[in-house]
Amino acid sequence: MKSPLAPYVFLLRNLSKSTPLAGVIVLAVLLISGIVVIMNSIPLSIRTTYSYSRFHTGVTPRGNPAMTPTLKKIILDESPVALGPLMTCRAADCEVKSIVGPWRFVVIALEQNDMRSYAARLGATKLTGRWPRKGEPEAVVSEPILKNMQLKMGSAILKPEDSNNYSPKPVKIVGVLRTDQWLAMMPIEYHRANHFPPIDLLVVMAKSLDEQDKLDHWIYERFKGMQARVFAYFKLEEETTEMFKILYSILNVVIGLLVIVITLMMALLMNIYQSQRVQEFGLLQAIGLSRNTLLRRILAESAIVVFLGWVMGLVSSLAFLSLIRKVLFDPRAFMLDPFDRTAYLYTVPVPIVIFAVSALTIWTKFHKFDPVGVVERRLV
Amino acid sequence: MIEARSASLVYEDNGKEVFACHDIDLRVKDGEFIGILGPSGSGKSSLLYVLCGLKRATSGGVAFDGQDYSSISGEALAGLRLKNFGFVFQYPYLLGYLSALENVMLGYPNPGSKTKDEAEAQLRSLGLADKAHRFPHQLSGGERQRVCIGRALLGTKRVVFADEPTANLDHLNGMAVVETLVSNRGSGSLVMVTHDPSMLERADRVVTILDGKIHSV
Repeated sequence: MKSPLAPYVFLLRNLSKSTPLAGVIVLAVLLISGIVVIMNSIPLSIRTTYSYSRFHTGVTPRGNPAMTPTLKKIILDESPVALGPLMTCRAADCEVKSIVGPWRFVVIALEQNDMRSYAARLGATKLTGRWPRKGEPEAVVSEPILKNMQLKMGSAILKPEDSNNYSPKPVKIVGVLRTDQWLAMMPIEYHRANHFPPIDLLVVMAKSLDEQDKLDHWIYERFKGMQARVFAYFKLEEETTEMFKILYSILNVVIGLLVIVITLMMALLMNIYQSQRVQEFGLLQAIGLSRNTLLRRILAESAIVVFLGWVMGLVSSLAFLSLIRKVLFDPRAFMLDPFDRTAYLYTVPVPIVIFAVSALTIWTKFHKFDPVGVVERRLV
Repeated sequence: MIEARSASLVYEDNGKEVFACHDIDLRVKDGEFIGILGPSGSGKSSLLYVLCGLKRATSGGVAFDGQDYSSISGEALAGLRLKNFGFVFQYPYLLGYLSALENVMLGYPNPGSKTKDEAEAQLRSLGLADKAHRFPHQLSGGERQRVCIGRALLGTKRVVFADEPTANLDHLNGMAVVETLVSNRGSGSLVMVTHDPSMLERADRVVTILDGKIHSV
C-alpha cells in the first residue's frame, strides 16, 4: 500500500491546487520557447532561403563589366581546389515573402545545360513539367518558391506589370523542381535580350561539395580589393550572425525579466499554497514527523510540480508550434522549427529558479514554524 | 518513564516573563492514567507540551526513559515522539485529502502493508470499520475524534497524550471518547488534560494545576 504521505498522493488528490502551479510553469515555458522559436525562424529563413548559395561561389565584376573574363581566368589558373563547372550567368530580381516582410531573391539566368547541372548540384533531379526553352520567357522553379510566391504551373514569376518582379514579358513557369532548396532559373538568352544590366556573373563550383567552403574563402580573399564582388555562403552566415547578435542580447534580457517575473509570481503562489497547509504541517510535526522529513516531502512535491509543469510546457510548446507551422508557416514556405533545441534550452532556468525560490520560501516558512500554535489553533 | 524535574516553561509577554509552567516535578509511570486538571489558562496544556517534548522546558528538565529532551536534537525528539507517543488534540485534526484509514496510518513511523492491517484493526476496534474509506468531511465530529484516537494508538505507543479531547463534545460523547482511550491504550500510559473533573473518574492520579504550578496530586 502506498504511503499516505507520498508526495504524489497530495498532488493527485488536490488537483485544483496543484494544477494552477503547474499551469503557470506550462505557460512560462510556452511563452519563452514560443518567442525564441519565432525569433529563430528569421535567421533560419535567411539560411534556408539562400541555402542554394552553399553550392557555389558567386562572383560579379564591380564597376567594369569587362572584368568577368579576367576574374574567370584567375579562378581557373589559381584555384586551390579542383573545380567543377564554372558557369556564366545573369540574375533578375524578384521578391519572396518572409515573416518580416519581402526579401530580394534572384532568378538565375543560365544556359540550357547549366540549368540542368546546377539543379543536379542541388540534388534537384525530379522535375514536373519541362525545362525552359532557349531564349524563351520561361522559368523553372523549386517547390518552396511556388508556395511562397503562391504561383502555379503556367503562372508568371516575372511580368511587366509587377515592378517588384519585373520582366518586359511574362516569364511563365514551365517546370517545377522537387526539392527543399529555393531556386528559380530562366534562359540566359532571354535575360540578355530583355534585362539590365548587361553584366555576366560567374558561378564557381568546387568539384567536391566538401571543398566548396574552402573555395569560397579562397575566392573571397583573392578578390579582396579588386573590381569584384563575391557572394559566399560563409559571408551570409557571418552577416546573419552579426545582424542578430544585438537582437539576441535583447532577447536574453527579455527572457531574464520573464523568468524573474514568473519566479516571483510562483513564489507568491507557493507561499499562498503552503499557507493553506499550515494545519497539516502543524499536525504532522506535532505527532512526530521531523521538520526535515516534512521539508523533504514538500520539496519533493514542489519538484514534481515544477518538473511536470516544465515537461508539459515543452510538450505543449511542441504541439502549439507544430500547429502554427502547419497552419501559418508551411502554406507560405516560411521557416519555423518546433524542435529548435536552443528555444527549449532557454526554458531550463524556469524550473531551476522556480524550484530554488520555492525551496527557499518553504525553508523560511518552516524555519520559524511552531506546531503547538497550530494544535492550539493560534495559527489556523 | 517520563520524569519532569523542576521543569519550567517561560514565555515573554511585552518584555515580561510569564511562567506557563513553574518548577514542575512529575513522574508518569508505565501504564498509568494521569489526569491534568485546571481552569482555562492555568498552564495544563503547556505542561502536556513540555512532557511530550513539543515544547522544551526553559529550565529544569524532562526525560523519557532516562533520556533528557534537552540532550537530543529536534529531529531525534520528533522521532522519539512518533515512535513512542500518541496524540489526541482538542480539535479532531485530520488531513482532509486522506481517508479515515490513511489518517490512522499517519500514526506509524513507516507506513506499509502491515500498518494498513493494524490501522484497519484499530478502526474496527473503534467501531469505524465501515467508514475506513470515508474522508473527514464525510464523518461526524465524534467519528473524527475516534479516528484521531486510532491514529494516536496505532503501533505500540508508550504514552498517549490527550489535550482536552472532549472539549468539543457533549458529555456522553466525551465520556465515550475517554472510555475508548482508556480501554484501547493497552499497556501504554495516558496523560489527559481537561477542565472537566468528571472525565477523570478512571484516572489513577489527578494533578491539579493553578497558575502554572502543581496545586495538588
